[in-house]
Amino acid sequence: MAVKSISKRRSAVQSVVLPLIFGAALITAWQTGLLHILLNTDEYVLPYPTRIITIISENTDKIMVNVWASVQVAVLGLLLGSLLGYLIAIFAATFPKFGSGGLTIVSAFNAIPIVALAPVIINWTKDVSSEAEVRSTFAKIIVVTVVSMASMSVNAYRGLTELPVFSDDLMKTYAAGRLTEFTKLRLPNSVPYIFTALRVSVPGSVISALVSEYFAEYVIGVGRQIRENILIAQYSTAWAYIVTACIVGIVMYAILMVIEALVMKKRK
Amino acid sequence: MKVIKKIIGSKLFITLVWIAVIIVIWEVLAFRVAEVKRTPENVLPHLTGVVDSLTSSKTINGSQTALEMVLENAGATLSRAALGYVIGIASGFVLALLMSLSGIIEKIAFPYLMLIQLIPILGMAPIINAITGDIAISRIVIAAILTFYPVAANTLAGFKAVRREAHELMYSYAANKFQLYTKTMIPACIPYFFTGLKISAPMAITASILVDTLQGGIGLGCLLSQSLKGAMTRYVFWDIVFFSAVIGILSFYLMGVLEILLCPYKRLEKKGR
Repeated sequence: MAVKSISKRRSAVQSVVLPLIFGAALITAWQTGLLHILLNTDEYVLPYPTRIITIISENTDKIMVNVWASVQVAVLGLLLGSLLGYLIAIFAATFPKFGSGGLTIVSAFNAIPIVALAPVIINWTKDVSSEAEVRSTFAKIIVVTVVSMASMSVNAYRGLTELPVFSDDLMKTYAAGRLTEFTKLRLPNSVPYIFTALRVSVPGSVISALVSEYFAEYVIGVGRQIRENILIAQYSTAWAYIVTACIVGIVMYAILMVIEALVMKKRK
Repeated sequence: MKVIKKIIGSKLFITLVWIAVIIVIWEVLAFRVAEVKRTPENVLPHLTGVVDSLTSSKTINGSQTALEMVLENAGATLSRAALGYVIGIASGFVLALLMSLSGIIEKIAFPYLMLIQLIPILGMAPIINAITGDIAISRIVIAAILTFYPVAANTLAGFKAVRREAHELMYSYAANKFQLYTKTMIPACIPYFFTGLKISAPMAITASILVDTLQGGIGLGCLLSQSLKGAMTRYVFWDIVFFSAVIGILSFYLMGVLEILLCPYKRLEKKGR
């Protein structure tokens, strides 16, 4: 027993230490220029980590403005898209015959490249506001909405329909109405599936927010800054925004994990 | 009567009805847009107009019709996407295999596999373009990175999902590692592997088109941004939008068809139903 727990603890330590060693090795290779030789590039295009950190700390204010613009788009689009996706799932679960066909269409939307979607939506939302900033933000939010809608609708539909065995029979013996069945059985049953969907769509929303910025009229956002800085050959600044974008993606996922842990804990 | 009922109840029919509904809504809006806008094709063209632009023999850049142009550029983009896709699949599968074989490799690679998913790779497209210095290579690299993660993660999940009984049976047969993998593990992970392929096929295409927009030259994305800037008729833009949408959706279904062709269990599933 004792041997087993020791080996288990050793394995847990290994799974933390080994990746850290790998990460440290990677950053060392980067800082010492070994990575540049491997990738056949120079410190101008791929600046040293220390330089990137310096730039981030020197331009915090400006970077935060762009982070805020991107996060705003990603979060609002994610919420709107997930809500719409869930409503579609409810519709599909209520009218299974026509609904599931509709789900096929929605998931087909998901296969449409965002690069094709973003310019179209930006075109359509030109009349929303006379201010470029407002209408650009609106367009970007819609792009993220469309992208996050599909995964939520497909997963939530499964959560609403794949019920524990006999649970709907139990509801029938209680003579529960459709509404009661929905609120007491189907809705709670779909909660884990909502999180499955969000695990896909949270990183997806960040990516689509960044890509939609490429096509937007108004120049703002982390994704756009990466591109703009590369166009003027400011690679170090571009890298600062890339690192920022990675941090934004990781932080948003971490927040989701915390919310999921809190919600699922309550259910137990 | 029964036949009619069967047709109306079928999934294909319902999907077609939905497509018809979308087309009707599109056309109604297109008529509305045509009334209020000076250049309606910039906002919402009639679908017939898009089809016309693809079938017309009028040349756009002096030598090519719209269809020829879209197809030529699509060839450049998609061949790169396909190459990156294959590289991504191969490396993703190999990594999953290595992770399954060695606990140490799994421990090192697993957190990074998770992180890759959270990093907006598409946002990094411009810098990868700058590092490789060649747009064709960056298309391949980015398509490969985007394919790599879903394939590796799903295949690894497939290896893990092999039931204990199967392991025990192979142990009682005194099977060696090679036999264990070729007879049990790899066949068992194939459905998961295909899930990875289905997720990443449209992503690889999106990535390649996006990389195109970063630089001039040949490629769908490049053509798309030229048309948006007004260098040629706006219909080319719409042709590309519809073309890439169709290709994205088809790539997903193509993987499903491939799975049915390659995997006996899928055919059984279909027959069984």
